[in-house]
Parts: sequence; structure tokens; C-alpha cells
Amino acid sequence: MTDDPKTPALAGTADEQVSQSLYAKAEKIYPREVHGLFARLRTLGVLGLLGIYYGLPWLQWDGHQALLFDLPARKFHIFFITLWPQDFIYLAALLIIAGLSLFFVTAIAGRIWCGYACPQTVWTEAFLWIERKVEGDRLKQQKLDAQPMNARKFRIKASKHFLWIAFAGWTGFTFVGYFSPITELAQRLLAFNLGPWETFWVVFYGFATYGNAGWMREQVCKYMCPYARFQSAMFDSDTLIISYLPDRGEPRGSRKRSADPTALGIGDCIDCKMCVQVCPTGIDIRDGLQYDCIACSACIDACDDVMDKMGYEKGLIKYTTENAMQGKVVHLVRPRIIIYALILAGIMGLFAYSFVTRVALGLDVIRDRNQLYRETNEGLIENVYTLKILNMDTAAHSYQLEASGIDGLELYKDLGVIKVPAGGVLELPVRLRAEEGALEARSSEVKFYLVASDKPELAAVEDARFLGPSYD
Amino acid sequence: MEEQQVPKTQKCIAVLWPSFLVAIVATGLFFSAFDPDDLYPFGNTTEVSRLGIYSIGFLCFWLISTLAGVGTLYFAITNCMRRNVGKQD
Repeated sequence: MTDDPKTPALAGTADEQVSQSLYAKAEKIYPREVHGLFARLRTLGVLGLLGIYYGLPWLQWDGHQALLFDLPARKFHIFFITLWPQDFIYLAALLIIAGLSLFFVTAIAGRIWCGYACPQTVWTEAFLWIERKVEGDRLKQQKLDAQPMNARKFRIKASKHFLWIAFAGWTGFTFVGYFSPITELAQRLLAFNLGPWETFWVVFYGFATYGNAGWMREQVCKYMCPYARFQSAMFDSDTLIISYLPDRGEPRGSRKRSADPTALGIGDCIDCKMCVQVCPTGIDIRDGLQYDCIACSACIDACDDVMDKMGYEKGLIKYTTENAMQGKVVHLVRPRIIIYALILAGIMGLFAYSFVTRVALGLDVIRDRNQLYRETNEGLIENVYTLKILNMDTAAHSYQLEASGIDGLELYKDLGVIKVPAGGVLELPVRLRAEEGALEARSSEVKFYLVASDKPELAAVEDARFLGPSYD
Repeated sequence: MEEQQVPKTQKCIAVLWPSFLVAIVATGLFFSAFDPDDLYPFGNTTEVSRLGIYSIGFLCFWLISTLAGVGTLYFAITNCMRRNVGKQD
């Protein structure tokens, strides 16, 4: 697809995309099943990641679901951490760290994420496995699809889609289980008593899984994935890529196993097209590295198998780098890697520091909107506020409240002791009183100080306005 | 870019998919700042659950960003068509 060796995984240009018929009209790809070292690694990855996805919501931690983005309660539980809407910045930082890690890994190891860990790959593998179990291998699938509809074909297709939909439904249910406690969700599901929005999201996510992993497959990688478009920007001549070695393979040609290729004047590639048949995106790796290649290494396994059978050395298609192929020195540590690593380490350090020093106490001051101020019988000016005290700590605390900013400012509250349970919110009405003579302007700044009695580092300060009569 | 060359499915996905991603970001930002319980749409209180409000919010964001995407696509295609007409003259 690209002639420029410097950008081996160049993203497709707009012209290319238009000239191809996309999505619906694309030819169906029947990837042949492959065995070998990398296929085993990928299976291991798929099983591990699926296990984590389906299992994690059932894991309990300290009396609550270990990983629960509890949207109804507006609290995110991530094992021993509880995040509140105020902690949104930490979640954003986590996403940035995840993104930068992907850049870092891409610069070193190429599209290893695409081939082994991307959800699109993982679920497509699972759906392909179901398809193979029901319809048989590649040839049987092609034969079945070529037939006109008949009872047998209908039965096989219906079984496949039933299994796909069931698996997708379970996926959708698990997805919702990350946002709404899953044990209660399961009980409601079994009693056919799911809420309308829970049902909507189970169906929505299930449908997306069925569509993406069952029907769209490689087209998601080719046409919809933003990462596939810009990953080439992270590549350089030392990035790990999967490549066919044309110097060794060409000129390609079929031959008997006993034939001597040197005598025939041909290379090691026997042109069996196994590498093309196993490719989940339907490309020919021998045409050079293309941005459609998701680096799944299925072609390496397939080719190694053929080389073994022919009695040739393995590695006609292999993990290598552009520099290695040109006989140059390969640098693992290079400016790009150092810069990515420094940025990543910097942001991780900042995140860790700000998280460890995070104060697990929130204080909001809301002025009474009904009246600006009131004069008491004693002739003092009074303002009314509601304090929202949010205890983000894992233990209950009692707090001391003070206010300052005006000479002789007095604080009155209805509660004797301000006690807030772990993860609780307390709305506390308070009144501030000051002598009119102490006010210098119509609006003065006051500060509320809140501190935990048993843990002085849990402290919060919040500004508010104190309004009085006009002095014009 | 000639309009006939772009299949309908691609046009739909080209609009719906990026606007879906944008809607996720917008929903996250909006509801981090505002608790559905504190919102009074058009001055009314609602009976809808928080999950319901989040979902409706997400769908509204998706709809709005889809409209923007449709606009972009429409202008891109019609501008190209105008250029092509000019070339034929």
C-alpha cells in the first residue's frame, strides 16, 4: 500500500478509502485456523482477557464489588480506591497514562496491542472460534456459504447466530455489571425484572458486540479504528514489525519437496498462500507491511509450519525491524523511546503524588437563595448557608467547623457534633452573624474551615460571600 | 470525492461512530460536573432515575454530535460536487 519505507504502516489516504468498497460490500474473509507458538500466545491472551472481563465484576473487595463504576450512586470503586465526581481528574489522568503507555509500547513493539490485546481482536477470536465449532473449517464455511438456502444450512446458520447472540448478551450483561452492582443485577435478570435503562444497555452493548465481532471484524480495524490510522506516527526503523524476507523468499514458486531451490533458481517461498489464508484482515504480507496488518503473527505460524514441512529454516516471515532487515544495528534505546518514557514516568509520578496527597474531604458552601441577609432582633446582620460536607475517606469522622473573615463573626449551626459516615454526604445549614459596623462593603469574603477532629490532615477551606446592607 | 462512490453504510458509520465517541466524552464531562438530582430540566423535577438521566443525556449528546457530523458530511460532499461541476465547464 505504501512505497515509502520510512512509514511502513502508513495510514490509508482519503483517496484509497473511497476507491475501496467499504463495510457492507467488502468481500468476506474466511481466516484459516492456525497453530503454532504465536497462536498459542494469542489464545492465552484471549482466554486471560475474557476471563478478566467476565470475572472481574463478580470479585468482592472489602464488602463491595471490587471494580464498580457505580453510576447510580456517583461513586467509582476501584479495589481499595473510591473516586467521586470531584476526582474526575484522576480518571482522566488514568486514561492519559493508558494512552501514553500504548504509544510507548507501539514505538518498541509495533502493533502488539492490535494482535493480542485489543477487545476487537479478542472478541473476534471468540466469535471465530464459535463459528468454526458450528460451521467447520475454512473450506466447509466457504462451501456452506456458496450453497443456496436449505434446511441444513438454515439449521447451521441459526445455531451459530443463536450462540453468537447468547455470548453477546452475556457480554452486554457483564458490561452493565460494571456500572450497576452485578449480583443484584443478576437477581433482577433472573426474575425478569431489569430496569428499562439496564435492559437498553444490555441490548445495546450486546448488539455492538454481535455486530463488531460477528459481522464487521477486520473492517473495524481497517476503517473505524482511530489507533490504526495514527499508529504509524509512533513507528521508526527500530520498531518491531512482522515482515516477509523478500531477499530469501523471492523469486517465489512451487516445487517438489525434494527439489533443490538453488538449482531451480527460486527462493524459499513456495507460494502456497497459507500466509494469505490465515490472515484475519485478508492481506498478503509478501506485498510489504501494510496498515491493514494488525500484527497478529498468524502468518508467521503458518509459514513456519510450511518451512518445517519443506525442511527449510523457519523465519521466512518473522518479527524483525526495518534496520535489522537492512543489516543495520538495532537500537532498543533511542531518543523517541527515552522521550516517551520520560513523559510517561512524569505523568505517572504526578498522578501518584497528587493521589497520595489527596484530601479525602469535600466542602461546598451554598448561599441561601431566598434572602440576601436578615437583621436579627439584636441588630446583627445574618446570612444563611448550606454546607455540603463529603467524607471521601474509608472511615467515619467528626469535624470541627470555623468561619472567619469579618471581625466578631459568629457561627451558629443546628448540629452539636458534625459527624459524617465513610462515603457519606451531610447537608448542614449554618448561620453567620456580624455587626453591621464590622462590614466594610456590601459583600465581604468569609472563609469556612472544616477539619476532622481525629485526623487534622483531613481539612478543607471554602470561600463564601457575606452580604449586608448597601452603603451607597 | 464523488458522492456515488461512498456506500450508504459507510456514510452512516462515518457519522455515527465519531459522534458516538464524542458523546461518551461529553457525557462523562457533563455528569462529572452536574448531578442529575440537582438538575431541573425546564424548571421541572423529574421522576427518572440517575441511570435514566445519564442514558438520556448520552443519547442527546449523540444526537447533537450526529447532527454536526451530518452537516460536515453534507457540506464536504456538496462542496466536492460543486468543484466537479466547475471542472466540467
